[in-house]
Amino acid sequence: MQVRTRTWLSLVVAASLVFLAASRIAVFEPLENAALSVAAPVESALRDVTRPIADFVNNLADLNTLADENQALREDNERLTGELARLRESEREAQRLRDLVNVRDVRPEDSFINADVFAQEPNNQQQRIAINRGTSDGILKGMIVLTRQGSLVGRVSEALNNVAWVTLITDPSSAVSGQIQASRVQGVVVGSTDGSLTLEFVEETADVKEGDLVLTSSLGGLYPAGEVIGQVVAVSPAAQELFQSVRVEPLADLTRLESVLVLVSFQPAQVPAP
Amino acid sequence: MNVTLGLLATLVAVLLQVSVMPAISVFGVHPNLVIVLLVAWMSVRGRRETLLLIPAAGLLQGLLDSQPLGLAMLALAPLIIMTEVHELHLTESDLAPALALVALATLVYETTILLSLAVTGDRIDWVASVRDVLVPAAIANALLLLPVYGLMRLASFDFSRRPAY
Repeated sequence: MQVRTRTWLSLVVAASLVFLAASRIAVFEPLENAALSVAAPVESALRDVTRPIADFVNNLADLNTLADENQALREDNERLTGELARLRESEREAQRLRDLVNVRDVRPEDSFINADVFAQEPNNQQQRIAINRGTSDGILKGMIVLTRQGSLVGRVSEALNNVAWVTLITDPSSAVSGQIQASRVQGVVVGSTDGSLTLEFVEETADVKEGDLVLTSSLGGLYPAGEVIGQVVAVSPAAQELFQSVRVEPLADLTRLESVLVLVSFQPAQVPAP
Repeated sequence: MNVTLGLLATLVAVLLQVSVMPAISVFGVHPNLVIVLLVAWMSVRGRRETLLLIPAAGLLQGLLDSQPLGLAMLALAPLIIMTEVHELHLTESDLAPALALVALATLVYETTILLSLAVTGDRIDWVASVRDVLVPAAIANALLLLPVYGLMRLASFDFSRRPAY
């Protein structure tokens, strides 16, 4: 390696380490807050303008699976047409209620702050979103975040003055105490590198079925009980294992959120170490 | 094209990376436009300008992502060594080494992020990370390099052929 390259590399690595060390004591928080605040409107505009392009690219990437999906959808369509007639009336009523219901209306006892999503963590290892509300708006680290329809999005992991980062429930580091709504079976909903959710520590004999709703439980005190996390989409009773493998899908598409609600009336419990 | 234009392109790439690229999924991962731009710049414009753009890109991204400032710069730093590899001109074409370098840079970048998470106490499933993130990200970025490299070559060609008056 040339001396010049080695010197430049050493300088850049040394500067990185200094920045990293300084970040541990929040020296750069005002600078990061200012940069994010300035960039937020630009990033929001870029997200809006390029959304059709992103949709096009995503559809291109799925092109090879479309033929199989098309055939499967034709078969599903035939089967579902019969069911549709029976369900049409009740679905129409359910849709009307969904349109009318706003989480604010059905939860008057809770306080929410509305926030727009303007950025996402760019690396592939973490799933975080940036929102345009911060400590100056009353947002604190640990507060939970919901979609406008009321299903769980994640927790505030970093709150700066004007912006905040929210770690999604699909992040690999996320672990939420959950329970099956119907059977009250408890478990822990964890994220993964591929963005899927798994309900872990569900006993082999526990009553869990596809379609069951998964809600938060108050165990641990980090989340209020009863928030909707998602729906069970697959249950695999693992042979010779103590626990079942339960795959859960979030109700909302967490990768395409535009605005969220921060639940400011719930304060996470500070559990002292034993 | 010069360093000023390079810095502007880097700023735009970082802004797109935090706002637009997370909405694009190729093989289940988001391509990294910043790495792709730096490698393409290295191939088309050479190492001198790229050496300045690498820390600038790391610093800008560090200001706009959720990671501690300095981590993105550290993860991009190995590109400095790669500029030297690129200067060896091992093949006649610049594209083939660029494709290899962008894949390698992606693997190093993602591994650095993973290591930082492991150091800070996060639970890491290394096998799943390699299978679901590192390898797909390297391929996705190599694919993204093709149009970016092509556009930069085109722009560079026009500049060099401009008649003198």
